[in-house]
Amino acid sequence: MYRLALNMLFGDRAKLAMLLCGLAFSALLMAQQSSVFFGIMSWTYTPMVNIRAQVWVSDPMVEQVNDAKPLRDTDLGRVRSVDGVAWAAPLHTSFVQARMQDGNFKLITLVGIDADTFAGAPAVLTQGRIEDLRLPDTVIVDEWGAQLMGRTEIGRDGKPKTTPLKVGDTFEVNDIQARIVGICKVRRAFTGGPFVYTTYDRAKAYTLGARRTLSFMLVEPQKGITPAELCGRIERETGLKAWTSDTVIWSWGERSLARNTFWWFWTNTGIPFSFGTAVLLGLFVGIAISGQTFYSFILENLKYFAAIKAMGAGMGVIARMLFVQAFTAGLIGFGLGAGMAQAIGRAMIEKGMPPFVMFPQILWATFALVLGISFVSAVIGIIKVSRVDAASVFRG
Amino acid sequence: MFKKRILLFALALAGAGAAWQLTRGTANEAPIKPPPYEPATRDKDGLIAAAGLIEAVAENTQLGSPTSGTVAKVHVKVWDKVKAGAPLITLDERDLQAQFQVQKAAVSAAEAASERADDAARRWTGIKDSGAVSAADLLSYQVAAKEAKAKLALAKAQLDQTSVMLDRLVLRSPIDATVLQVGVRVGEFVAAGAKAPVILGDISRLQIRCDVDEQLATRMRDGLPAKGYLKGESSLAGGADRSIALKFVHIEPFVIPKASLTGASVERVDTRVLQVIYQFERPAGRAMFVGQQMDVYIDASQNASGK
Repeated sequence: MYRLALNMLFGDRAKLAMLLCGLAFSALLMAQQSSVFFGIMSWTYTPMVNIRAQVWVSDPMVEQVNDAKPLRDTDLGRVRSVDGVAWAAPLHTSFVQARMQDGNFKLITLVGIDADTFAGAPAVLTQGRIEDLRLPDTVIVDEWGAQLMGRTEIGRDGKPKTTPLKVGDTFEVNDIQARIVGICKVRRAFTGGPFVYTTYDRAKAYTLGARRTLSFMLVEPQKGITPAELCGRIERETGLKAWTSDTVIWSWGERSLARNTFWWFWTNTGIPFSFGTAVLLGLFVGIAISGQTFYSFILENLKYFAAIKAMGAGMGVIARMLFVQAFTAGLIGFGLGAGMAQAIGRAMIEKGMPPFVMFPQILWATFALVLGISFVSAVIGIIKVSRVDAASVFRG
Repeated sequence: MFKKRILLFALALAGAGAAWQLTRGTANEAPIKPPPYEPATRDKDGLIAAAGLIEAVAENTQLGSPTSGTVAKVHVKVWDKVKAGAPLITLDERDLQAQFQVQKAAVSAAEAASERADDAARRWTGIKDSGAVSAADLLSYQVAAKEAKAKLALAKAQLDQTSVMLDRLVLRSPIDATVLQVGVRVGEFVAAGAKAPVILGDISRLQIRCDVDEQLATRMRDGLPAKGYLKGESSLAGGADRSIALKFVHIEPFVIPKASLTGASVERVDTRVLQVIYQFERPAGRAMFVGQQMDVYIDASQNASGK
C-alpha cells in the first residue's frame, strides 16, 4: 500500500517538482533568513567573542557590552581584593574618530588592554607581535579595519582602488600618532568601527577628555570557583556588576553579558521584527504553495483514492498513505532547502558579509516547520478524500 | 525509476548533513586562553590589593638653594654617591670674592692702625716722669688704642660675614645619599626657594608608597605583611615566583585625594586613598628604579579571621 503511495508521489514528475520546490524554498527562506538574523544579532556581543575572559566587571548600570560606563581606576584594587579572584586586568573600550593620512575620518572601536600581561589580547595575529604594543604610539588593527581604513586612490583605469593599511602605516587619534605594529583577525562588531587594540595607558592618552577610562575589568576566578559564584561575590563586596562571558544566548543565565546584550538589541531595535516578518513569510509561502500543490495532486489522483476506497480500504489506510506521501515530500524538501541554505551560508562566511550563524536550533526549527507544513497539507488532502464517494469511480 | 528516487533521497540527505555540519562550525566560540604573560595571581584569601609607587627610603630630598644666583659649577652628576657635607653646586661668587679681598685689605689696614695706636699708648704710658705728659693726653692715647682694636674687630667680623656668605653659595648635601636628579647646568639662574636644582635620596633601600582605596581602608591594620609585583616583569620571570616581600613601615595618618597620572590641569578629585608605606631590600640581579609602579597585595587574612 505504501509503495503504491510512493509510486503515486514519484509518478508525476511535474507535480513532484512543484511540490518539492515549494517545500525546499520555504525551508531555504526560513533557515537562511534566521541564520542571517542571528548572525547580525551575534555581532552585537562581538566584544565578548574578541576579548576573552571568564568574568567581566562593569558599572552596576551597564545593560549591554557596547555601552560602557567607566569606573574609577582604584576599583581595580577593590575587585582584586575580593576573595576568589585570581587576577584582574583593566580594559578600556570606546568609540573614537581616527584621522587617516589622506584626511578621511573613520569611527573605530578603541580597545585598551593591560600592557603588563596583555589580558584580552586578540587570539589570532596574522602579522606582527603583541609585544610590539609596548613600543610608543603603537596599535594593532583588525583585518577588516586595515581594509576599511586603507588609502583609496583612483587608479589608471579610472576605478577607485583601496590599498589596505599594513604594518608601519600610521593614522591619528585625537592628534596623537598611532603606528600599526600588527594585524589581527577578530569578528566584526554591530556597533562602532573596526577593532583597534592598544595598551590601557595609551588608550587614556587617546581619549583625552574622558576623566574615567576603566570601562570593564577582566577577571579570572581562582581554581575551584565557578565564574557565576565569583560574580556573586564581586557584586556583594564591591557593589559593581559582574558578568559571565559565555555566549550561549539560549540559556537563562542572567549573568551572561552576551545574552543580555542580545536581548537588549532584541527589545530595543526593529531588527527582530523585520527578520521575523521574512521568516513568517517563508512559512506562509511554504504552506500556501505546498498545501495547494499537494491539494491539486490529490484532486488529480482522486479517482485512484476512490478506487482504493471502493476496493474496501478504510479511511485509516488512506490517511496513512497520504501522510507517507506528505512526509516523504517534506523530508526531501527540507533536505534540499537546508542544502541550499548551507551553500549560501558557506559562501557568505567566506566573504564575511552579511554575517551568517546557523545555530543547530535554527535547523531543528526549520525541520519541524517543514514537517508541520506537510502535516497541514496531508490533513487537507485527507478531508478531501474522506468526502469523495467511492461510487464516483464507476461514474467517471 | 528507483535510481532517481534514491538519487533524490541521497541529495536531500547530503543537504541536511552539510547543513548540520555547518551548525557545528558557526556556533562555536573561541576557548578562553590565559593571557600571553602570566599576571600577578592571588594565592590566598583576605588580601587587599593596592597600587604602589617606588621611592627612596625617607622619601626624596628636594634640595633648595638659600640664595639666588647664577650656577658657576656643578660638582655632581646623577648616580653619584655623596657624603653629608659634600659640595653639590657652587653659585657665582665673584662679587663676594671682590668684597672679600677689599675686606681682607681693610683688616690688614686696621691691624696696622691698631698696632700703631697700641704702640703709642704703650710708649706714653711707660714714661715715668709724670710731668712729661698730661693725664688728659695719656687717656686720649689709650682710648685711641682701644678704638683701633675695636675697628680691627669690626673689619674681622665683616670679613667673617663675607666668608660665611661665600660658603652659603656652595650647596652641600645634608645627608649621605645618591644624586637622583640634577636640574641645572652651569650658567643657569637659580632663584632662592624655586624648583629644586638637585634631588637626593638614599636608594640603598627602597620603599613603596601604596594607594589603598578608601573603601578598603577599614580593613587596613598596622604591621600587615605584603607582597609586591613589579610592573613589566611578567614577561621576564617566565613562571618563576617574582613576588617581592615587603616590610611594613607605617600608615600615613592622612587620607589624601588619589593622584591621577594624566596630569591634566582641570582634574577633579576622583576618590581618596589611604597611603601605606612598605620597605624592601633591593633584590639582587633585578633592575629596580625609583618611580616605578608595583602591584601590591597586603595580607589582611589574620585580621579578617579576628573580626
